[in-house]
Amino acid sequence: MSGSSEHAAVARVLLASPGTQGGIPDCGRALQGHGLALSLEVVRDAPACARALAAGDSQLLVLDAGCASDEAGEMLGLAQEAGLAVVVAALGSGPLELAYWGSQPVAACASTGAELAAAVRDLLDSGGAAEIPGSVLPSTAILRGLNVALLAIDAAGRISHCNEPAARILGTRAEALQGLPLASCLGSPVPEAHPVAQSLSRGDSFEGYETTLLRADGRNIAVGLSCAPIPGPGGDRAGVVAVFNELREARRMRGDVLQREKMASIGQLAAGVAHEINNPMGFIHANLAQTAEYASELRQIWSRVEALQKVALAGDPVQSRVAAQELAAAAEEVDVSFVLGDLAKAIRESQEGSERIRHIVQDLRDFSHPDSSEREAADVNQCLDSTANIVWPMMKHLVVLQKNYADLPPVPAYPMQIKQVLMNLLVNAYQAIEQRVGRSGEMGTIEVETRVAPEGVEIRVSDDGVGISEEHLQRIFDPFFTTKRVGSGMGLGLSTSFKIVERHGGTLSVESEENVGTTMRLFLPTGPAAPG
Amino acid sequence: MSADSPLVLIVDDEPRILSALRRSLRREPYEVITVESFREAYHVLESQPVTLLLSDYKMPGMTGLHFLAEVARRHPAVVRLLITGWMESIPQQEIDPVGVWAVIDKPWDDAELKDTLRGALKAGPPVPA
Ligand SMILES: Nc1ncnc2c1ncn2[C@@H]1O[C@H](COP(=O)(O)OP(=O)(O)OP(=O)(O)O)[C@@H](O)[C@H]1O
Ligand SMILES: [Mg+2]
Repeated sequence: MSGSSEHAAVARVLLASPGTQGGIPDCGRALQGHGLALSLEVVRDAPACARALAAGDSQLLVLDAGCASDEAGEMLGLAQEAGLAVVVAALGSGPLELAYWGSQPVAACASTGAELAAAVRDLLDSGGAAEIPGSVLPSTAILRGLNVALLAIDAAGRISHCNEPAARILGTRAEALQGLPLASCLGSPVPEAHPVAQSLSRGDSFEGYETTLLRADGRNIAVGLSCAPIPGPGGDRAGVVAVFNELREARRMRGDVLQREKMASIGQLAAGVAHEINNPMGFIHANLAQTAEYASELRQIWSRVEALQKVALAGDPVQSRVAAQELAAAAEEVDVSFVLGDLAKAIRESQEGSERIRHIVQDLRDFSHPDSSEREAADVNQCLDSTANIVWPMMKHLVVLQKNYADLPPVPAYPMQIKQVLMNLLVNAYQAIEQRVGRSGEMGTIEVETRVAPEGVEIRVSDDGVGISEEHLQRIFDPFFTTKRVGSGMGLGLSTSFKIVERHGGTLSVESEENVGTTMRLFLPTGPAAPG
Repeated sequence: MSADSPLVLIVDDEPRILSALRRSLRREPYEVITVESFREAYHVLESQPVTLLLSDYKMPGMTGLHFLAEVARRHPAVVRLLITGWMESIPQQEIDPVGVWAVIDKPWDDAELKDTLRGALKAGPPVPA
């Protein structure tokens, strides 16, 4: 399109970018590189932007997402005052969906040079440069391709834009909704309390609101919805933008997370169990091989016994004497009395080993069915012991475990869930120690302490591992927050634990100092717990 | 066992494993001593002419690898072997500098174990890299 006649009048685009001193920033080059005939004015900060806007001949502001956020906010405000549409350029950021930056409307977002050029071209072609964002929304390629349901409603309460995902959820085609009154997707009369209606009438914003929309087939559909007013040029409202998703889908995704949580603790469990099973498997396996050998040795002896029996019954004293001597020699060779004694011992030890494995499998089964419907009076010390038994083999080479138990009253709880929490805490403590000492040969200490607290019991798990930095401390209970390498942590241990503890009406808190250690404090109430 | 037959020392904190290993090696041409801790192992190493040392990896207080590294310093003539369980894979670059003759998997195969030990005894101590 470069040099084509339709763009004979060169468009003036203002580019706000921190860029490199003096040069043309990447997004500027992207615009030029895609053959747009435009005159580019680059500004690096808000004051320069204000001066350029005051000159009054810019048609569009391209805002580089690399700008400091306060600067960016200020420039967006300036652009809005000047009635200029804004395209946000976050090149290399991956697909971007942004109708607002802070509270300012944005006409389009671009994460590649081509998208940026397309969005700028669209806006210039539609003359949108001087229009308010509400009316330029439909023309942007980005919104069309956006994989999130989006509705734009103009000040008169008509649907000014509906993208494909939104139309799909509403059970119709995008064009069919265009220009229809709000009632066509909110129901008639329009419920005043509906977030979209409130946004339109009072300028309120909503985020992650669970509500319903009316489908073309007359059914209501549950959605999670966020919406916000689009400010118009004179400070009045130009309309509302709403994005939403289907709750059924949201629920399914939550289900995935639950499944992953389960998998996370099963992974930890598998590692613990593997170590537990190595030893009994090892000696049972060896003992069986040895038992087979003993059996064949004893068979040799038995054949001598039979030979002796035969000659003795025949009444041949000389032959009998020879056979008896041979038997004695063989018995000595095989060391029969030892073999008989050790055979019994090998069998006994193997039985004990298989019993151990049976216990482990039992524990595992308990863990994988954690949800009994009734709470029981749980002995927290016992929960700690049985959990420590499971994880101990995986950490014994690096950890000294100190237990300090008080006599505790029973706690109404789902014991398996409590064990899951304790296991998460113990494994985290071990991993923190592992990170600190590496393979230096040093040891760490985990201290497990229980005590009676007002109206409940308290369990502390302390370690002298790496500790947690102040900035991470806020985030450790967030799902998927992890500092561990891929494959070793999913970042679900603590968020799962937190939920379980909440369900029990308890609390889980952390104290930590970097390079010193961490204490996790778990409180469980003895009284009738919170509903759950 | 004759006075000059080799002496094999085995360390594992699990007595049932030691008992099974003694069984497996009962008829082998060397004497077997088993202990349950590194402390006892040092004691034996200091007081008896140990030819070969087989250590478990996961031990309370220290890994078998650290122990073998220490033994390599104090008793370089002792042939050193490690026994490890499922999911205890140890990076080769950590094993190499310690001069470990072989790493035996737990559960072990009797015939293989005997072959490995005989081979190790015949070869003598490896020179640490
Ligand atoms: N005892 C601790 N010492 C140091 N850091 C900890 C400790 N416990 C938790 N953390 C930090 O909190 C993060 C989140 O812990 P969480 O248990 O939720 O996930 P994870 O251990 O990383 O993975 P997962 O538990 O799913 O295997 C950890 O990655 C770690 O940075
Ligand atoms: Mg964890």
